[in-house]
Amino acid sequence: MDMSQYRNLFLSEAREYLKTINDTVVALEQSPSDRAGIDALFRGAHSLKGMAASMEYGDVVEVAHSMEDLMLRVREEGLVFDAGVADLLLEGADLIEGLLNDVEQELEPRRPPGDLPRRLAGYTPQRAQPEPHPPQQAPAPSQAAPAEPEKGIEPAGELSTVRVRTELLDHLINLTGELVTNKHRLLNIGRELGSPQLNDAVSETAKLLRALHDEVMKVRLMPFDAICDRFQRSVRALAKRSGKELSFELAGREIGLDRGILEQLTDPLNHILRNAVDHGMEGSAERVAAGKAAKGVVTLAVSRDRDRVLITVSDDGRGMDPQVMIAAAIRKRLITPEEAVLLSPRQALMLACIPGFSTAKEVTDVSGRGVGMDAVNASIQKLGGSLTIESEPGVGSRFTLMVPMTIAIIHALVVQCGKVKGAVPVTAVHRTVELRREQVESIGKRQVFQLDGEAIPLLSLNRVLGLPLGRFTSGIIPLFVTEAKGRRIGLVVDRLLGQHELFVKPLGRPLSRLKGVAGGATLGDGEIVTILDVADLL
Amino acid sequence: MSTTVMIVDDSLFMRKMLRDILEEEGYEVAAEASDGEEAVAKYKECRPDLTTLDIVMPNKTGIEALQEIMAFDPAARVVMCSAIGQESLTTAAAEAGAKAFILKPFNPELVARVLKEAAQG
Repeated sequence: MDMSQYRNLFLSEAREYLKTINDTVVALEQSPSDRAGIDALFRGAHSLKGMAASMEYGDVVEVAHSMEDLMLRVREEGLVFDAGVADLLLEGADLIEGLLNDVEQELEPRRPPGDLPRRLAGYTPQRAQPEPHPPQQAPAPSQAAPAEPEKGIEPAGELSTVRVRTELLDHLINLTGELVTNKHRLLNIGRELGSPQLNDAVSETAKLLRALHDEVMKVRLMPFDAICDRFQRSVRALAKRSGKELSFELAGREIGLDRGILEQLTDPLNHILRNAVDHGMEGSAERVAAGKAAKGVVTLAVSRDRDRVLITVSDDGRGMDPQVMIAAAIRKRLITPEEAVLLSPRQALMLACIPGFSTAKEVTDVSGRGVGMDAVNASIQKLGGSLTIESEPGVGSRFTLMVPMTIAIIHALVVQCGKVKGAVPVTAVHRTVELRREQVESIGKRQVFQLDGEAIPLLSLNRVLGLPLGRFTSGIIPLFVTEAKGRRIGLVVDRLLGQHELFVKPLGRPLSRLKGVAGGATLGDGEIVTILDVADLL
Repeated sequence: MSTTVMIVDDSLFMRKMLRDILEEEGYEVAAEASDGEEAVAKYKECRPDLTTLDIVMPNKTGIEALQEIMAFDPAARVVMCSAIGQESLTTAAAEAGAKAFILKPFNPELVARVLKEAAQG
């Protein structure tokens, strides 16, 4: 059997296993008894061994085999995963990496395993400070060429970074996005042909694409820290100007976000922080009178939740009163008293995000909030994120921004309205519903339906888009529930076509100026869909 | 009609090699799975004539997957793939109903012979 045809596949998969081993060793050092991690390490070494044996790479087999044995002792014989084990495994992974590089460059192994297999096999814990590094380093000079240290043999260190133009990164992302679109096309073809082989190959490709996409997107990540200093400065300046005493705390600076998202977060966060300091926070005298510490605290915290990032701005200031918010909104004729009755306290707080709710002059006597919150909400939604407000009068407020860690590929609900296919990011969809006609009730001129004890008003997306209305001859009315003006509404469409993974492309002028249109995307069958910004449309 | 096979191994490399060997021998590879859980699900879906099952895998080991497959279909013909040094596991697999064993690294002629026997016997 000609094994050379498998060499590239071997190399790429072996490197994946090495990466898993490296990552898992580091993770296990933090929690040495994590069973899943121990199993993963054992499997990684075992698979490496098996693959290398097939390729007849004896050195790799020897090292991987002794790594597997060491992990077997951890797994079955209760050997503690200590720093000594971790060091040896990392040393083994480095050595194999070097051997793989030799294979790739078709060179004779330049750094043979030496005594590492023996040290792996003979490892006993609690030796006084096991120091595996000197023996590892020692043979290298005699083996390697004197002048130029070979690429790849170098253990990953300071040299492992390169500068790349952002343009190039965007190019990579674009290509990856196109591949994802193409994957859907292949899936469609596979479905039509009913070929299990093709489906298998496509599902494997899909997995690889998902991994590729994640990696490519990570390249664009920047730590939140990159924009922190602006906030520190502006909060300090604001506090000084308004004569308030407060401390500003930052958490989660290290969390990475796409640089595009990071840039667009600066303004909204500045707005929220300014509101917190200017209006949310009381003066020292008022605080002391209310039994609080004289010095207020404003916190900006960032954390990860899978592929999303949560950013919260909280303060221990005077908070917001839903009833006061509702009264103000009615006074400004932004909502009717009938609509007001339907609002939950949480929805009442979201009134702050309706355009025209408040102006700077009125903000303090109304609610202590509101400057530019409509703009804040709009920009967060444009990023595919969401904003929630929690508050307790007298205790404080918390604004939570949930944004995707990366952009470009979104999950969206695709709907049919007349001849138009539109896509709504799932972040803006609370749920989908198929109503029977008799479930629709009329309240005055409005049509509503009941959901979780709340009367949800119905609106036709066709009408909003200026399209002919659907007929619903089957008696079933498809709709999705979304949020507008701080409350839930049901948007009726002709058909719900399901959730799709879409690669969003910005629209050029003049389309980019259209209200409610956030971008375009291509479905797997080549059809073009419009990404709708529902909040902007309504 | 050619005999259908499902290949189960967490390594893409191993699956590719085995697929090439089997296709060369005239088998039709009906499905591939990369862990024990997927193996059980896909077995139920496509009911292959033969299954090759790796032992060391994530999300259910090969032995666990074998037990579930045999419980679902006592007539299943499953060949275990194991590496040298896993003798204790091969006993467990034989008890659970494995028809035969192939040893890694794969020897194409041997693999072909063992699978042929498993398919007939």
